[in-house]
Amino acid sequence: MLGALAFIPRGVKAFYEEVKNFIVPQKEQLPLTVSINKKSYAIKADTRTTLLDLLREDLNLTGAKKGCDHGQCGACTVHIDGERVLSCLTLAAMVPGKEVTTIEGLANGDKLHPMQEAFIECDGFQCGYCTPGQIMSAVACVKEGHTKSVAEIKEFMSGNLCRCGAYNGIVESIQKVAAK
Amino acid sequence: MGFFDEPFDLTTAAEGRVEGIAKVTGGGKYAAEYKVNGLCHAVLVGSTVAAGTILNINTNNAKQVAGVLGIITHLQKPLVPGMANEEKIKEARFGLPIFHTDKIYFKGQPIALVIAETLEDATYAASLVTAEYKEDTKIVDFNGALASVSLTPAGKDRGDIAALNNAAQTIEAEYNIKAEVHNPMEMHATIAEWIADDKLKLFDKNQGVNNVQRTFAKLFNIPVDNIEVISEFVGGGFGSGLRVWPHALACIMAAKLVKRPVKLMLTRPQMFHSVGYRPASWQKIKLGANADGKFVGIHHQAKNGTSFYENFNEGITRVTRLIYHFDNLKAEAATVPLNLSTPTWMRGPGDCTGDFAIESAIDELSYKLNIDPIDLRMKNLALAKHPDSGLPWSTNYINECIEKGAQMINWKDRKATHSQNVNGDWSIGYGMAVGAWNAGRGTASAGIQMQKDGTLTVQTAMTDIGTGTGISMQNIAHESTGISKSKIKIELGNSNLPPAPSQGGSNGLSSIGGAVVAAVAALKLKLAAYAASQNEAYKNATAADILMSDNGISFKTANNQFISFTSLWEKNKLAILEVEASSGPGTERQKYAFCSSAAHFCKVRVNRKTGKVKIERLVTVSDGGKIISEKAAANQMSGAAVGGIGMALMEEQATDERLGTLVGNDFAGYHFPVNADAPIIEVAFINKPDPNINPQGSKGLGEVGIIGTAAAIANAIYNATGKRLRDLPITPDKVLLG
Ligand code: FES
Ligand code: FES
Repeated sequence: MLGALAFIPRGVKAFYEEVKNFIVPQKEQLPLTVSINKKSYAIKADTRTTLLDLLREDLNLTGAKKGCDHGQCGACTVHIDGERVLSCLTLAAMVPGKEVTTIEGLANGDKLHPMQEAFIECDGFQCGYCTPGQIMSAVACVKEGHTKSVAEIKEFMSGNLCRCGAYNGIVESIQKVAAK
Repeated sequence: MGFFDEPFDLTTAAEGRVEGIAKVTGGGKYAAEYKVNGLCHAVLVGSTVAAGTILNINTNNAKQVAGVLGIITHLQKPLVPGMANEEKIKEARFGLPIFHTDKIYFKGQPIALVIAETLEDATYAASLVTAEYKEDTKIVDFNGALASVSLTPAGKDRGDIAALNNAAQTIEAEYNIKAEVHNPMEMHATIAEWIADDKLKLFDKNQGVNNVQRTFAKLFNIPVDNIEVISEFVGGGFGSGLRVWPHALACIMAAKLVKRPVKLMLTRPQMFHSVGYRPASWQKIKLGANADGKFVGIHHQAKNGTSFYENFNEGITRVTRLIYHFDNLKAEAATVPLNLSTPTWMRGPGDCTGDFAIESAIDELSYKLNIDPIDLRMKNLALAKHPDSGLPWSTNYINECIEKGAQMINWKDRKATHSQNVNGDWSIGYGMAVGAWNAGRGTASAGIQMQKDGTLTVQTAMTDIGTGTGISMQNIAHESTGISKSKIKIELGNSNLPPAPSQGGSNGLSSIGGAVVAAVAALKLKLAAYAASQNEAYKNATAADILMSDNGISFKTANNQFISFTSLWEKNKLAILEVEASSGPGTERQKYAFCSSAAHFCKVRVNRKTGKVKIERLVTVSDGGKIISEKAAANQMSGAAVGGIGMALMEEQATDERLGTLVGNDFAGYHFPVNADAPIIEVAFINKPDPNINPQGSKGLGEVGIIGTAAAIANAIYNATGKRLRDLPITPDKVLLG
């Protein structure tokens, strides 16, 4: 072992590059049962697959959006057991036994969730790409009780970026639902 | 124009956008979200150096990864006929000749594309591709390279700027703005599928499907109609989708190579060097006025960054020729090549940059002259005609924008000296600025399909990037037919639909509105022709004579001779009635000049200990002609104002000269306003139709919303602190050190 260390090339990065040349790891697949929008899916998931990619690429639930894949934008926000979570920072392998709710599961059949209705009425979006994440966060924001003032709503909705800048309508939508 | 004879009076819709439900339920499909059988995934590998030549690329390890289907490099690639040789590459004017060169122009430039069964496989395999380069000297620091290029005239001089020497007061100052990146929330993506050897289907994020179609028809030497481009939902653009970028071509090449449909979505870090950005800029202004405030002249010099493989000129000095009377004017510009990707138009391109300098200088001058900044502007606005072309404005209500905005923000509360504005650790200040934009119009087509029950489907190839094209088309169709909105469906963003220009430059609604009106006129004539078989009176009817309702057609006159759609359909054995019409600019462009304009007002608080700037109020009043969809228009304007806050206070694409790299190419490193960074934006419109620009009288809004915002904020910071900050973004360090 010590002998082998003597051959470590200069610098950790170089060492890592060397290792990559010898070992190309093969992917592992895990059998998982996940519950999404109250529906159970028995799947085989790559251990590297995020919940976001599982939803978008494998289950055709493309309502959760990929805006950064880094936990920096909120577009991928879903609820896990009722709390807002970034699905791009959650591995698919972490969700068995939990209830995942995506934007597709928010409405009650044809009846929109009040927050969805409010977003339409208040024009809380432009391009709509951040919208599912905004709505999932907004629903949680109301539930958390962070709606006492415009400033508080703005603070607790600041994890959801909107490049279109539709913040006026987003805040108004939340005020509307919170007032109910 | 017959349409204008009719009352055009839109009541504010209580219902939302036509695509509202799709957007709030996650049902709307953006480019990367279509389910396509046999789809595989592609991931780009970027150069690790900023300048040089590729010596070799090692793909051996990547190839061993299970699931990898193929790898493209400049050495191994499917043929793109339009890039077969140097000459063709030049002719194609595509920009970066991706995979058709061994030259490296910027760090991150794609050198390979890995195609694999899954995104995970492709991503991992892409991380194993390595290359060796012969590195050249690189240069990415705009300010460092500035001096190396010299200015050339930008348009004709007016008078002689030597007159500035006799001005009572002059301002001479330099302005620097860091590069900004569009960063629409949806990362650019393409799904490419070759339906046949010469038939291509694309789901693609862009702002103009016909532009994408034409570009690839040329590159692959196939008929335009053999390419179908679908962009029904577009997750923002702000200009980044106005060009066709290399990654889309890469995706199409990949589909050719593996003979399967391929999806390529850029990663967020790749977004920073793949789809353009607003280049860094330097400006110098010399502005002078008489003691009474009348401008004597302006000398405006500007430089902006570009790449080494293309020349991109922002047109920064254009706006100098638009808003005010300057009897003496000289404008000069230059571009500075850097080892960065090519910049492109970003919301309010050029004007937004140039306007910051002019509007800052005018504000500074107002203090020197001891004249209120509003009064100084009012004295000098070019309200009658376009100062360059001499054509009278069709309409220009910039003065009314200023008046209304001043009222809304209570401008009279502003104190001219900053020492009066102190409040504990905070200083309060007011600032304002104006902006204008040449209002354009392109030729667009729209189609209408009508059913027996009076249902209309209005169609165009134009995309709706979030601006509200769909709802506005619906409003115009409703207003010109009388048919209920619930019976009017809108289809857009597909190249199979009637062609239209790209959605950009605030031209979208201006162009498509006329097309919808023309299609409605065509529909009325067609209905009248069928009606004539039942009632002779319809024989010579013109479109203007005809009234439509939910149930049938009639004459506008008292003896209205109503005929129901049902009977019309049955008598003539009709299935679906189809019309298509186009409409575009005409001779009015020789008679008039057209512009949209806006006035922005800002109240800030600046913390003297931390340098933090808090925007307390932001008011934006604009003249965009007739407002077709009030909610969508207000949303556009408040969104643009939020963009303006970003430009003023936080957006900055930093570079590292030593490594030749972008610094902070993600949302942790590149900040734009989050919800808490913006106040509730206060928006108002003049809302008077322009009678000449197009049938509906709307002039376009997307750009003027951001042109002037940054200056209004900087001017407010000066009013609060006495610190004149001429470099954007105004981060707290600049406030403290300024
Ligand atoms: S995609 Fe998950 S936070 Fe941006
Ligand atoms: S609506 Fe476009 S990013 Fe929020």
